[in-house]
Amino acid sequence: MIRRPIPRWLVVLLGILGVFSLLAVYGGLSYRQSLVNEKQKVIPGLQAFGDGVTRMTAPQGSEETPKPSMLVTDLRATYWRLFLGTGLGVVLSVVVGIAMGAYRWIAAPLAPIISFLAKIPPTAMLPIYFVLVGSDQTMFTTMVALGIFFTMAQSVYQSIVNDVKDEAIDKAYTLGASDPEIVYEVIWKQVLPPILDNIRLQIGPAMIFLLAAEMLVGAEGMGYRIRMESRVLNMSIVYIYLCILGFTGLIGDWCLLWLRKKLCPWYDR
Amino acid sequence: MTKKHWIFVCLFGAAFAGCEPSNKSTPNSTGSGTAGTSSAKPATFTLAWSEYPSWSVFGVADEIGLLNKEAGKLGELEKKWNVDIVLKGVDYDTCLQMYGSNTADAVCITNMDTLGPATDRASVAILPTSTSVGADACIAVGVNDLEGLKGKTTRGLERSVSQYAFERILIKKGLNPKDYPFSNMDPGAAASALQTGDSNVQSIMVWNPFVMQTLRDQPKSKKLFDSSEIPEEIIDMVVVGKDSLAKEGGKAFASCIVETFYAINQRMADPKTADKTLVAIGANFSSLGLEDMKQVVQQTRFYKSPEEALKLLSSEEFRTKTMPAVAEFCVEHKIVEKKPSIGFDSADSQVNFDTSFLQAATSGK
Amino acid sequence: MHALEIRNLSHWYGTRRILNKVNLTIAPGQIVALVGPSGCGKSTLLRAILGTDPPSEGEVLAEGRLVTEPNRDVGIVYQNYSLYEFLSAEENVAFGLKLDKTSLISRFIALPAYLRKRREHLQMARDFLKKVGLEAAMGHYPAELSGGMRQRVAIAQAFILQPKIVLLDEPFGALDEATREDLQLMLLRFYQENLKAKQRGERPQYTIIIVTHELNEAIYVADRVIGLSRFHTEGSQGAMVVYDRPCPVFHPDDPKDLSKFVEQREELRSAVFDPNYVKHHSKYVSFWDELSNDALAVAAMNSR
Repeated sequence: MIRRPIPRWLVVLLGILGVFSLLAVYGGLSYRQSLVNEKQKVIPGLQAFGDGVTRMTAPQGSEETPKPSMLVTDLRATYWRLFLGTGLGVVLSVVVGIAMGAYRWIAAPLAPIISFLAKIPPTAMLPIYFVLVGSDQTMFTTMVALGIFFTMAQSVYQSIVNDVKDEAIDKAYTLGASDPEIVYEVIWKQVLPPILDNIRLQIGPAMIFLLAAEMLVGAEGMGYRIRMESRVLNMSIVYIYLCILGFTGLIGDWCLLWLRKKLCPWYDR
Repeated sequence: MTKKHWIFVCLFGAAFAGCEPSNKSTPNSTGSGTAGTSSAKPATFTLAWSEYPSWSVFGVADEIGLLNKEAGKLGELEKKWNVDIVLKGVDYDTCLQMYGSNTADAVCITNMDTLGPATDRASVAILPTSTSVGADACIAVGVNDLEGLKGKTTRGLERSVSQYAFERILIKKGLNPKDYPFSNMDPGAAASALQTGDSNVQSIMVWNPFVMQTLRDQPKSKKLFDSSEIPEEIIDMVVVGKDSLAKEGGKAFASCIVETFYAINQRMADPKTADKTLVAIGANFSSLGLEDMKQVVQQTRFYKSPEEALKLLSSEEFRTKTMPAVAEFCVEHKIVEKKPSIGFDSADSQVNFDTSFLQAATSGK
Repeated sequence: MHALEIRNLSHWYGTRRILNKVNLTIAPGQIVALVGPSGCGKSTLLRAILGTDPPSEGEVLAEGRLVTEPNRDVGIVYQNYSLYEFLSAEENVAFGLKLDKTSLISRFIALPAYLRKRREHLQMARDFLKKVGLEAAMGHYPAELSGGMRQRVAIAQAFILQPKIVLLDEPFGALDEATREDLQLMLLRFYQENLKAKQRGERPQYTIIIVTHELNEAIYVADRVIGLSRFHTEGSQGAMVVYDRPCPVFHPDDPKDLSKFVEQREELRSAVFDPNYVKHHSKYVSFWDELSNDALAVAAMNSR
C-alpha cells in the first residue's frame, strides 16, 4: 500500500543504512579506480583525504608574514561574499517586491521586465554583469545580489498578489490603518513566511552563482579553489569543499526553517 | 518489529550490495576491453584535445577523413595502423581532468601542465606540436612599460603557462617577480574586462586567441611583452599515459597520432592546400579566419616535421635548462608537491620524452 | 444625526446602470437587514458605503462625514475573509486599537509608552471576546478556530473601534444551522444593549447593516428590512430600494416563533423577489412613516 506508515526505528535504520551505502559505493568506486591507477587522485581514498585536509589547513605564507590556511582564507572570502550578496539581494527584492505588491503603478512597469529577467539563468548573464559591475572584489556581492534579485522579487510580488487579499487591505483601512501601516502590519506580516521560504530556496542559486563567478575571476574563495585544484586533479580537496558547501546549504535551510517557526508561529498551524 | 520490516532492510542492503559487482563490470572508456589479437578488432584509444592551433589539427584530421573521431569507425590512417582513435574535443581543463582520471589515453597538453598528472600517472611525451613565440602576452591599458607596471596587479590564470611565462620573462629581464603581483582570473574574463575598460583590470597575461582579440578590439591596449622572449620554453605536445602505451595496440596508436599530425603539416606546406587547411584549423580554433590564422601560426610555431621536433628534444637547452626550470616553477607554486622525474628516452621516468615515434616518422619518409 | 445617509446614489458599470438613485437613512442603534435577488447590486451598494468603490453619482455620509475611501467610521465583517491569519484571536480584536490609536513610528520610537498602551488594548480585546463568549480561545490563531468562533472574533474586531456603522456581508452564510442561531442570538443581545443605551440617553453602540439571503434570518435579527431590487416599474434603470419596513423585534430569551415571520416573508417574496409583480418602487417604502404613525407601539416594544 502506498504511504503505509513505517515505524520510527525503521526510518532511522534505513536512514543510517542509506548513508553507509553511499560511503560503501564511494569506497567501491575508489577501489575500482585504484585498480586502473594505484596513484589515482580522482576518487581519492582515506589516505588522500587525510593529505588533502593537511594541505588545506596548513598555515601559508612565510615565517615572518604568516597567512591563514587555504581553508580559512577561502571560507572567509566565500562566506562573506555569500552573506553580503544574499543579504543585499534579499533586502532589495523584498523592498521592490513589496512596493510592486502595494502599488499598481509600480508593478505595471516592473512586472513584465522582472518576470522576463527571472527566467534567464543568472550564470548565463555573468559576462554582462562583468561589464556592468566590473571585476573587483565587491563585484561578487553585486553578482550574487543581482543573481537572486529577479527571481526573488518576482516571487515576493506573486506571494503578495496571491496571499494578501483586497479584503484584508480594505478591512485594515476600516480599522484605521494608514498606508505605511498596511505595508508593515498587513502585507509584510502576511508574506514573511513565503519570504523566508524564498530565501531558503535562493541559497542554492546564490552559491551556484558565486561559485561560477569565483571560478572565472576569483583569486581566492571556494569556487577559485575548486577550479584550481580540480585542474591539477587534487580531488580530495575539491570533494571536501563540495561537502562544506552541501552542509552550508543544509544549515542555512535549518536556520531559516527555525526562524520561520519563531517569527511566524501561525504559519504551520 | 515485524518480519516484513526486516525484509525491507534486507532488500535495501541487497540493492546496494548489488551495486558493487555491477560497478566493476562497467565498461571502461580507456579501452582496456580489446585485448584480442591485433589483426582482429582494432583496439580503441581516446585522445582528448582542446582548441589550440597545433591541436585543432586533430579536429581537421577528422573532417578530412584521416581519422574518425567516433568509436567503432575508422579513418584512413586508423585503418593503416589498425587502431580505433576516439577524439574528444573538450575544454583544456577538462582535457587535464580526463587524462588525470584515466578517462583519456592521450591528451594535448603543455610541457608544464604535464608535470601535475605525471606525478600520479607516468606519462610519455610522444610529439611536441608547437611552441609559443608570442602566443602568450602581457597586455596593459594605461601602462606603457614595465616600470609603470610595478605594483599593479596583472590578471591571468594562476598556476598555468600564463603565470609561468609572466614570471620567467620578468626574471629574464632582470626584474623581480615579487614587484609584479599576479592574481587569478579566467583568461576569457580577463580579456573581456580589459576590452570593456573595467577600471580594476589594467594588465592581463593571456594566451591566444585572447592576445590577438584584445590588441585588435581595445585600441588603448599595449603589449608589454610576450612569449617570443622565451622561445621553446612553452611547448604544446601530445602525451600518452605509460599504461595506455603499454597496452595492445598502444604503439600503433602513438604512431598513428604522429603520422596524422605531420600529414596535416604537409597539407599546410603544400601551396595548393595551405590556405584551405589553415582555414579549416581556424574553424576549429575560436572560428578565426585566414588572416588571423596566418598571424596565429607565426606566434604558435609548429614543429612541422619530425626533424624539427627531434631538434628540440635533443637540444641541451631544453633538456638541462628549460624542463628543470619548469619543474622548479611547478614546485614553487604548489602545482606539484614533489618534482616528478623527467627523462629523455628513459622508460622509468615519470615524464619520459620518447623520441622513438618521431625517429620512426623520419625514417618512414 | 443619522448614523448613515445615502443620497441619490447611482452606479454604472460601463453603460449598465446597476443602482438607480438609492436613498436611505439609518438611525444609530438600528439593525437593518438588506435583502434582494442575486445580482441586484447589494454588493455594489455595500462597497459604496464602505468606500472601496465610490458611487458614480450621489453621496454616502457616515454621521455627516462624506465617505470617499474606507476608514474607521464604517466597519466590515466578510463572509470568508474574516480574520488576519497571522494574528491570534485577541490580537485580531486589538488590531484596530493598535492601528487607530497608535502610529507606526511611535511604536518604534516610543516603545515603552506603546507597550503600556498595548497592554490596555489587549485587555479591552479580551473583555470584548468574553462578551461574545470566546474567553477560552483568546490566544488561538484563526486556523485553530471553528467558523463560528472566527465570525465572533471578526464581529468583535469590527465593533471594538465603535464605528458609526458596521456592515455584515453574509456573515453566517458558511456556518451550520446551530452555530448560525447562536450568532443570531448574539446580534439580538447587541440590540438589547442598544435599547438600554437609548433609555440611558446614550448613543447606542451597535448600528448594523446585515446582508443576507435568508429571509427568516433577516426578519429575526433585524428591526428593519430593506429590499433592493430591479423588479419595479422603472426596473430597466437599475435597482432601487423597493421595500423598507419595520419588522418584529425578538428578545434573545423569546422562543423563535416562526408564525410571526410568515406574513412578512410572503410580502418580501412578492415585493422584492418576484419579477412578475409589477408595482411602483415606493409602494413598500414606508419605514419612517410607520415609525412616526406607530410611535406608541414602537415605544411599547422598546420598553420590554
